[in-house]
Amino acid sequence: MSRAMVEVEELRKEFPRRGKSRQDPPVVAVAGVSFEIPQGEIFGLLGPNGAGKTTTIKMISTLLKPTSGSVRVAGKDAIRYPIQALRHLGTVLSGERSIYWKLTGRENLEYFAALYGLPARVARQRINALLDRFALTKRADENVERYSTGMRQRICLAKALLAEPDVLMLDEPTAGLDPQSARNLRDLIREVKSEGRTVLLTTHYMEEADQLCDRVAIFDHGQIIALNSPGALKHDLDDLNVLEADIARWDDAWGAALQERGAVNYDLRFDETARVHRLTVHLNGHLTTGEAVTELVNLGADIRQFSLKSPSLEDVFIRLTGKSLRE
Amino acid sequence: MDEASGMHYWRAVMAVAKRWLTTYIRYPTWVISVLLWPVLFPFGYVFSMRALAGPTGEALSSFAQLAGTTDYVTFLVTGTTFWMWFNIMLWGLGGSFRMEQLRGTLESNWLAPLPKTFLAVGVFLAEALMGLVQLSMSMLTIALVYGVRLAGSPWALLSLILISIPSIYGTGLIFASLVLVAKEINGLIFFVRGLITVFCGVTYPIAVLPGWMQSVSRVLPLSHSVSAVRAVLAGGGFGTIAGQLRYLAVSGAVLMALGFLAYAIIQRRMLHAGTLGQH
Amino acid sequence: MLKGWPQHLRALGAIFRKDLQVFMSYPVNAVMRILEPLMWMTPVYFMARSFAVDGVNIGLRAYTGTTDYVAFFVLGAAISSYVSAVFWGMGFALKNEMDTGVLESNWLTPAPLLVQMLGRSLFSLFLTTVNMLMIGCCVWLLFGFEFTGRVLPALLTVAPLLVALYGFGLGLAGVVLITNNANNIIDLVSNNITILSGAHFPVTVLPRPLLAISLALPLTYAYDAVRGQLLGTTTLMPIAMAQAILVAFMFVTVTAGLIVFGRIQDRCRQMGTLAHH
Repeated sequence: MSRAMVEVEELRKEFPRRGKSRQDPPVVAVAGVSFEIPQGEIFGLLGPNGAGKTTTIKMISTLLKPTSGSVRVAGKDAIRYPIQALRHLGTVLSGERSIYWKLTGRENLEYFAALYGLPARVARQRINALLDRFALTKRADENVERYSTGMRQRICLAKALLAEPDVLMLDEPTAGLDPQSARNLRDLIREVKSEGRTVLLTTHYMEEADQLCDRVAIFDHGQIIALNSPGALKHDLDDLNVLEADIARWDDAWGAALQERGAVNYDLRFDETARVHRLTVHLNGHLTTGEAVTELVNLGADIRQFSLKSPSLEDVFIRLTGKSLRE
Repeated sequence: MDEASGMHYWRAVMAVAKRWLTTYIRYPTWVISVLLWPVLFPFGYVFSMRALAGPTGEALSSFAQLAGTTDYVTFLVTGTTFWMWFNIMLWGLGGSFRMEQLRGTLESNWLAPLPKTFLAVGVFLAEALMGLVQLSMSMLTIALVYGVRLAGSPWALLSLILISIPSIYGTGLIFASLVLVAKEINGLIFFVRGLITVFCGVTYPIAVLPGWMQSVSRVLPLSHSVSAVRAVLAGGGFGTIAGQLRYLAVSGAVLMALGFLAYAIIQRRMLHAGTLGQH
Repeated sequence: MLKGWPQHLRALGAIFRKDLQVFMSYPVNAVMRILEPLMWMTPVYFMARSFAVDGVNIGLRAYTGTTDYVAFFVLGAAISSYVSAVFWGMGFALKNEMDTGVLESNWLTPAPLLVQMLGRSLFSLFLTTVNMLMIGCCVWLLFGFEFTGRVLPALLTVAPLLVALYGFGLGLAGVVLITNNANNIIDLVSNNITILSGAHFPVTVLPRPLLAISLALPLTYAYDAVRGQLLGTTTLMPIAMAQAILVAFMFVTVTAGLIVFGRIQDRCRQMGTLAHH
């Protein structure tokens, strides 16, 4: 195994509760997480909003001092020697406002190149290459405020790659992008990996983590509740059948009845557009899918359609936490 | 600090200053306020003073006794111009970090591998340079509109302005750092601005203040800048304003040091609480 | 469901309450509203002192007949603050809601926009009045001033002015809707108009061209007449005539304001300017 580019050990962050006395327990944003990312891996932090993913990213990127624990980036202690660690790190923070809207794309890159200490000549070459690679050359001399969200995200990515970092970190890179732009960005991230760089990203999109990441750490309440490759995580659910059904009306008693009959778990969401309840039931040997559907019909459920799926990371999350990730 | 990182830091400082100036030049709405405000702002005061002086100037002798001149227009507009310089600095420098904090660019700057103080130095340089440009333009406009003339040494005037910079922008840096944690920028600006208006003798001679207020006034560097510029306009040279120059040099050094110290402390604090302090 | 005026009154009340709640949730702002005017008052007081001969402002007396510059200034400031309250109350609230995106959700309710605008200004009028009284007390305690006339007739002089300002504010609010630049417009208009109308000094000190503009502004007569009534200053014209001018002004601005605002509102709905925010 190649050497670890990011080493996080027992990382913990507490924030004092606002406006309360010192005796009150602090808010624990990250409750002691550990992981290692070898060179050339795409590693995903997956979890609902507020699970501690961004706080973790900010601690690794030296923007936030941890309460305890250690972070090493490319072997450098990021807490004691932040500037050395930052030399190996390119970070894309969430949102599109980490660049200057009143400057052009090129000016933004020139500016950050100087901040990263690139000599002017090197900077010019790299900027041209990056603009080319990200299909931004034509619009490079327009103000960023006139860019589309996808273009801004690409400039942010270019900015993070300027110093040719060993590690690239992205906080919710595809949030707010249309499907096409999101796909393009994922391709770019794969390219970055193919250059031998290590990628750490956060996301709350299951599919994204599934398709993109070599390994995934699932976050909930500031802790890692599972860490493995997406395939292995799903493999753990091999005994599981997943039934998805659209139902016009829902009664909580039905769910209780299903679990009484042997369903492992169930989750319910309301689909606004189709105006139906989308029921996901996890089943193992105790209750077959056929029996579950019959049971629901007997209870009086108006089933519009139902299907069987293979387990996804979403199901892993439901299985682990008993709740859906998309809330 | 080795030579390579020395170069790197210097380049970063210049890049920050350049970025600042580019935005200024590209969005020159400030030109309007720089040309218009120095003329409009003293307007109300000029005519109030005219009313107080009386139709035949019967109350002027009283003013002259305190201010040392009967030319209340020059007296006033020099005060307001310096006041405005300070004010523009408060909004510019004070608001700048806060704005970057809100937009999120503060964090992306802080991701660069260099001590964060150098980022502040760049902003500081750009703001000071722009402030000088704006001040010169303001002085030109008021000279044209209100007929203010320089009777004293132009070199003394120039040195006075340059030596006022550290005290003014040092205060600004302290202020800008406070705003990062206090967030409520408007309230703070009004407070500082009010303090300056009351104590620095902008619209009246300091001699009219009660004793304790005069003592406060003597501590504030801006009072010295304002009184010295009036002295030079009235015909003074280096000799006339030596005392003020000395005071400004010392207080400027102190305030600059305090400014960068405040920035360093606040920046360290933000690393613990998060740059936006959401919790 | 309430219809017609009862419904509108209910809407007015709701808007007033909402604004009050928002205001109360920013205590620092409330404190600043008292402190800030005091900070502006102090230089004025000392400025007047620096021109006093044996403690008396004989220069001002020669122009106006009163020696009490603080009282002269306070009255001006009081009227000015109503002027900007109406301007800000309407234009700025509109701009604010446009920026935060709540404008459309307010717009979607059946209460006519006019009623909503009124509700908003009512609140700022209320706030201004409370504010003025408190500031007046503070200034009186700190610097002292004295009214020689009676207050009620002076209020009657101001009443038509307030209504007139509403008309003006409405037109301005309309302009804000299409230009998106409330701050600058309002600052520019309210500041310069009040100063030119003699908020801080007797307009007779102005050079002729400026005096001509000043005399064309109805606001000038409000400042002048109220000071005449309360301080016994020499006025530009008999007070009754000033009052008549203000009443006429009221009819003109209200009619014009309604027309302008209506037109612009229609245009906005057609062009969808609202959706830009």
